[in-house]
Amino acid sequence: MAVDITLLFRASVKTVKTRNKALGVAVGGGSDGARDELFRRSPRPKGDFSSRAREVISHIGKLRDFLLEHRKDYINAYSHIMSDYMRMTDTERDQIDQDAKIFMRTCSEAIQQLRTEAHKEVHSQQVKEHRSAVLDFIEDYLKRVCKIYSEQRAIRVKRVVDKKRLSRLEPDQSSKSTESSSSEKASQNSSEESEEKSTTEENRDKNLTEAQSNFGLWGDGRGEDELSPEEIQVFEQENQRLVGEMNSLFDEVRQIEGKVVEISRLQEIFTEKVLQQETEIDNIHQLVVGATENIKEGNEDIREAIKNNAGFRVWILFFLVMCSFSLLFLDWYDS
Amino acid sequence: MVGVKMAAAAAASIRERQTVALKRMLNFNVPHVKNNTGEPVWKVLIFDRFGQDIISPLLSVKELRDMGITLHLLLHSDRDPIPDVPAVYFVMPTEENIDRMCQDLRNQLYESYYLNFISAISRSKLEDIANAALAASAVTQVAKVFDQYLNFITLEDDMFVLCNQNKELVSYRAINRPDITDTEMETIMDTIVDSLFCFFVTLGAVPIIRCSRGTAAEMVAVKLDKKLRENLRDARNSLFTGDTLGAGQFSFQRPLLVLVDRNIDLATPLHHTWTYQALVHDVLDFHLNRVNLEESSGVENSPAGARPKRKNKKSYDLTAVDKFWQKHKGSPFPEVAESVQQELESYRAQEDEVKRLKSIMGLEGEDEGAISMLSDNTAKLTSAVSSLPELLEKKRLIDLHTNVATAVLEHIKTRKLDVYFEYEEKIMSKTTLDKSLLDMISDPDAGTPEDKMRLFLIYYISAQQAPSEADLEQYKKALTEAGCNLTPLQYIKQWKAFAKMASAPTSYGNTATKPMGLLSRVMNTGSQFVMEGVKNLVLKQQNLPVTRVLDSLMEMKSNPETDDYRYFDPKMLRGSDSSVPRNKNPFQEAIVFVVGGGNYIEYQNLVDYIKGKQGKHVLYGCSELFNASQFIKQLSLLGQK
Repeated sequence: MAVDITLLFRASVKTVKTRNKALGVAVGGGSDGARDELFRRSPRPKGDFSSRAREVISHIGKLRDFLLEHRKDYINAYSHIMSDYMRMTDTERDQIDQDAKIFMRTCSEAIQQLRTEAHKEVHSQQVKEHRSAVLDFIEDYLKRVCKIYSEQRAIRVKRVVDKKRLSRLEPDQSSKSTESSSSEKASQNSSEESEEKSTTEENRDKNLTEAQSNFGLWGDGRGEDELSPEEIQVFEQENQRLVGEMNSLFDEVRQIEGKVVEISRLQEIFTEKVLQQETEIDNIHQLVVGATENIKEGNEDIREAIKNNAGFRVWILFFLVMCSFSLLFLDWYDS
Repeated sequence: MVGVKMAAAAAASIRERQTVALKRMLNFNVPHVKNNTGEPVWKVLIFDRFGQDIISPLLSVKELRDMGITLHLLLHSDRDPIPDVPAVYFVMPTEENIDRMCQDLRNQLYESYYLNFISAISRSKLEDIANAALAASAVTQVAKVFDQYLNFITLEDDMFVLCNQNKELVSYRAINRPDITDTEMETIMDTIVDSLFCFFVTLGAVPIIRCSRGTAAEMVAVKLDKKLRENLRDARNSLFTGDTLGAGQFSFQRPLLVLVDRNIDLATPLHHTWTYQALVHDVLDFHLNRVNLEESSGVENSPAGARPKRKNKKSYDLTAVDKFWQKHKGSPFPEVAESVQQELESYRAQEDEVKRLKSIMGLEGEDEGAISMLSDNTAKLTSAVSSLPELLEKKRLIDLHTNVATAVLEHIKTRKLDVYFEYEEKIMSKTTLDKSLLDMISDPDAGTPEDKMRLFLIYYISAQQAPSEADLEQYKKALTEAGCNLTPLQYIKQWKAFAKMASAPTSYGNTATKPMGLLSRVMNTGSQFVMEGVKNLVLKQQNLPVTRVLDSLMEMKSNPETDDYRYFDPKMLRGSDSSVPRNKNPFQEAIVFVVGGGNYIEYQNLVDYIKGKQGKHVLYGCSELFNASQFIKQLSLLGQK
């Protein structure tokens, strides 16, 4: 296991100091040491870069704390246990979302700015590498914090959707129940009325005619009764059918919603990958454009070269022909 | 039950322990905890060549990045000042390193310094640093100074090597040179003992040491025993107590350290081999878990540190993450070829699966009422997308192994290594030879002169009595005709004479290799690896001398070879010179250390041996790792005296 010899080191520093003092060696240490160190530190370039980087990190840290603090309230409030102490209204949640988004945007802009500036001042390769690595770390940190935020938000959206679904289902059921209850009441009323009618009819007639009329009237009453139960049955059947239809629709819609959520998740993954490839594709695009330009220029150069070659040949030919003509002329002149 | 589990954990991977120690060091010497939403801290890592060798098999560049290292640089390179950054140093405490560090302190390159020394630093050198820090008024900048005790290189879970940079210093040749002086021997022994001590500190256990008499191993054992004893006696500063030990303290058994000298078995390093890892080490340029292949395309792949750029070479890392490598590094080569084929098949099947999804999705877009199909396919698509990175990784590994195995196969075919392997196995097991040695040597198209030399040396070493002068002359003539250098033979003659005086020549056990003939399944599958003409040999279990020594010592068996091995127990108050072990129970963990060099054949043999025993662990270490050609070079240098 590793052994911590820092204390041993400090002890040896002390021994060296005392030894140097004893030898009278002039050394930058001793009582002047503290002041010297201060002096040495202040002209050191405190590094705008690193201080700004640390600022950005502290911002992101604040964002993270802010999100974590309100996370419990954010998620928890949908429990049906009413604790009005901690409850968050929707507007508050929206506010949190807005703030978080603005924050993240400013942070990523700051990182971009740092990135462009970082490479301007320095000339050393190592420092450049170091700075770009530092910026990568910061971006990674920001991404992790954003993930917290997006997880929270996903949970919230899901709950909203669930709630909407539930609330939509309620009026259907209540309307169905009122319908059935009203039909029940209607049937009850009609049966009461028919009873009243039959008693009055009996009181009016006391002979056979009474019985007959009673019988007749009673038959009429029962006919009215019989009509409504049928209607009741028909209504009930229709109700059942409607309920069944609604249920199946509801199931299908739920399935589709699930699939859509999955698809959206996949889309997220795809967009992430596509964005990653974007810079590379841009590079390739640039290269290709450059290459086509080069090839065009090359073609033109070749054409010119061919022309020059041809022109050159024409001139040579002309020169030779002229020479031969002049020879002929001289020959003719002489002779 | 708990005790047994702790014991198993104690013998657990030395690689894990070293990695944990390194990670803690990189985390400013505070134990490392994975924190997902932690703020990033960045630092710069500076190491020397020793540190680089230790870190590179264990941590990849990506892992370094995860720990927050932005730059990793060599100590003796030109480094620019990077203000406001803490720097972690991981160096050996040598003069030049200390000077360079003092220079850094004076130039104020970084903001704070965390100094970690690979092995213990002496007081005077510490004062040198203190002096420089005072002169530069940088004492407060030196935040922490640690002795890491990590002076060994772990290559596998259970294999370690002492050093790589200065291997000439502790090589076989250096130890066995006839003109070696006492002081040189002392320095060599000190280096070896220092590394072994660091190893045991990291392992967290005090071993029981056994070694043969009259060899370099004995000297190492005496010194190591002394060092451990001194450290244990100093109870205040002892490195073996304290709560950092953890599981090691609870194990009921202490491990057994078997120190053997290379001279016990000179034939194994020369042996031609047939298992994958050993073949790669023998035939290709395999170094610290990285293999360099010569290829026409030049793509270079360099993790930690600055490696010199070479043209037309490809390097691959064969690491613990590579599952195929871990499974097959000990298998015979034809098996490896088959498995690569199988992996390729399964990868292609998965790829087709993913491609088919694409067409299904296209189809599904047109069909309106296919909601049920949709449900199936979104699930399939999600799983396909999430498994894509795995598929890519798998493809990369398959490519890697295909290239490596093809390169190895090339060598096998041109040098006819399978024939040599079979022949040597027969020689070493003293079964009848169907082809005379002279024929083998004078065969022009079988193997390089080096191969022939190896074959002849193995024959010479394992012969019961030396061949007659006439035979020897004949062999020598044939060898020189084939173009071999005869100097190793001189040395082996001397060694054999000496070894005969010391003890009976070791036998290599019974072995039988069955050639499976040309009509094997490998060729019938129409594989990429055209294995015609290469016999498909099946290895039978045999025990090399080192394994046999380990077996008898670990199981407390009585064996004439090992009965007079010395016994050291650093925890005993008085050292004794006896050979009688006080502990009569068989050991559960053992560490085999070969002084003078080791190789993968022995390692594989040990691994195979211990696989058959339940609940026992073996770690293999050597002072340097060489393959046969390097060993032949050393032998020829020795023979030239």
